[in-house]
Amino acid sequence: MKINVFILFAFLVFIYSGFNQIFGQSNINPNISLIGTFDTQTFLGKNVPDKGKLVINSPSLELFIDDYLNPYSLAAADISFEDGNFDMEELYASIVRGLPLDAQIKAGKYLVGFGKLNQVHTHAWQFVHRPLFHQIYFGADGFNDIGFNFSFILPTESFYSQLDLGIFKGDAISKTEVSDPDNTDMVNDWRGTNPIFVGRLGAFFTLSDYTNLEAGLNTSYGVHAKSDNFNSVGVINADQTLKYFYGGVDFKYKYRPDQYTALTIQGGALWNHRNTLRISATTSGPLPRLDQHRINTFGGYLYIDYQFQKQYTIGGKYDYTDGIIGDAPGYDKLSNDDKNHTQALEMWIGYYPVEETLAIKLDVQQLFFSNDKNSQTSITLDMIFSLGPHKAHPF
Amino acid sequence: MKRFSVFIFLIFTGISFGKINVVTTTTIIYDLVKNIGKDEVNVDYLCRGNQDPHFLEVMPSYMLKLRKADLVFKNGLDLEKWLPQLIDGSRNTDLKEIDLSTDIEKLEVPTKRLNASYGDIHPYGNPHYYLAPNQVKIMLQEILNSLINAEPEKADYFTKNYQDYLNKFEAKMLVWKQKMQAASNKPIIFFHASWIYFATEYNLDIKGYVEPKPGIPPSPSHNAKTIALIKNTGVKLIVMENFYDDSAPNQIANITGVKVLKVPVGVFGMEGINSYFDMMDFIIDNISKYI
Repeated sequence: MKINVFILFAFLVFIYSGFNQIFGQSNINPNISLIGTFDTQTFLGKNVPDKGKLVINSPSLELFIDDYLNPYSLAAADISFEDGNFDMEELYASIVRGLPLDAQIKAGKYLVGFGKLNQVHTHAWQFVHRPLFHQIYFGADGFNDIGFNFSFILPTESFYSQLDLGIFKGDAISKTEVSDPDNTDMVNDWRGTNPIFVGRLGAFFTLSDYTNLEAGLNTSYGVHAKSDNFNSVGVINADQTLKYFYGGVDFKYKYRPDQYTALTIQGGALWNHRNTLRISATTSGPLPRLDQHRINTFGGYLYIDYQFQKQYTIGGKYDYTDGIIGDAPGYDKLSNDDKNHTQALEMWIGYYPVEETLAIKLDVQQLFFSNDKNSQTSITLDMIFSLGPHKAHPF
Repeated sequence: MKRFSVFIFLIFTGISFGKINVVTTTTIIYDLVKNIGKDEVNVDYLCRGNQDPHFLEVMPSYMLKLRKADLVFKNGLDLEKWLPQLIDGSRNTDLKEIDLSTDIEKLEVPTKRLNASYGDIHPYGNPHYYLAPNQVKIMLQEILNSLINAEPEKADYFTKNYQDYLNKFEAKMLVWKQKMQAASNKPIIFFHASWIYFATEYNLDIKGYVEPKPGIPPSPSHNAKTIALIKNTGVKLIVMENFYDDSAPNQIANITGVKVLKVPVGVFGMEGINSYFDMMDFIIDNISKYI
């Protein structure tokens, strides 16, 4: 299916290019850039698979195409190839000017603005590993979903502030909790078939010529699981839909006294309040009885990155999240888990020989689990190259 | 209620009356606009004088400045690759973008197909024309025309300011030319390939650059070549923008005894540099002294 999507897209690009050549109405080609990632890893720890072995992963790539559609709107596509599979990471169009109240509308599949970091592609991060709470509450690829976002600049005179309101399909939220493999007959549909809502209120403050701070409040609300079978099989005492509420905060502080030096401190946190299922205390017999419960869980990260000289950065990150990284999805796992937690310490050094065209990162991460799982260490050497036009770096 | 509606309308549309609201991408353009627009324009700038205008982070605070602007003056020739993102972010549909490079006599326009192996080459020509006073006169004319187009009823005011400033500018040009006569045909090395317009105007003999290719950091092998070049050609001066890292030029200077001169290339780029005149005085006084 994913390969078919890519072939269709490539065919459309081909047809578009052909028409362009034949009819010659426009010689404007979109920006095309290709980002390649090649990493090697080794893992350390008790009972860790491939312990001590050098794991050379297949290179992955991202093909990014974007440009203006017309004076009012632009469009972008981001196709990835990883582990032998093509995938449509992003495909969206944005109306950037000309709307009432100077609103902007973005529609399609893209990285959702829940927190600042989630909107940044992973290859542009200084570190290698996605924050743990992203993995637990949004899935391995972060909060990437299909929907609409409406963005407004607020009339604050002395600082920049922006309100974003979005409605999305909800794949990223439900992705973490597909049907419980042991109870497929009982709960056959954990997908969030109702749309979810996302909001963000962001503000940017210029503290001095060299220091800036951006902060945001984030929220998301909707259905994370739904099944017509919850009650029909007679073993669950629950609503047909299980709802969630995420509240989040994030900030980014940067001190850049000159072109070669920058201190960045960035963090984010999420509070998860949701209805989920638990084995009932009154269970008897071969089939477990499940009751609906409310849980409150939490995740967050904080990192510091210091760019010294032009080509080097060094940094460290602390991560905490409820839930166990690497668990299989289930009604009491990952984002439904309020009993266990995972912590991580990560350190890195980055070398950028020539601007953003090439990056080499050496990254060490240690994971600590609150359950009986042994802590594990991963050492990653990452090489990322970027071919094609480079956009200016956002703050 | 009607008043409140008008108030809300003004807030959301960002409309203001009276003066022309101008944002410039660099502080040099800021200074030129200020001297022609004077009291009839509100001017602000994006890139500080001590920042490299090639690289500016896309920050919402810049979008806020552009949101309130009627005109944005840019250097052009692909120097401000960051500007489209800022303009999109500002959501200002009435903003007029003025490219001051339109009538510039462009130098180093590539004649072959470019790729990244040539470094950061600007495909439409070298954008650093603002260091050559003759080119700045063309910028001044463009600024005057744009301000008159924006507020035709203030044409006389802008034209008078323009003429007054041009008179001072031409008087300064004579002084600068006189000082630089001693430097004519003298060999010199620059850090970055941003001095071709300046060197052409004052007839300097550019022997090379500390950067092996534009925007590419100096390498040990290229430093060795630069050292040999200095020894063979009798270069006495390396000139560099004050926002670049001076470690490679200093290493070269330690071996060859050449003078490394760090200069501001923007207004407010150094303490005491508060105008284009101050900046050019500093550059010309020092180059003519040490070359």
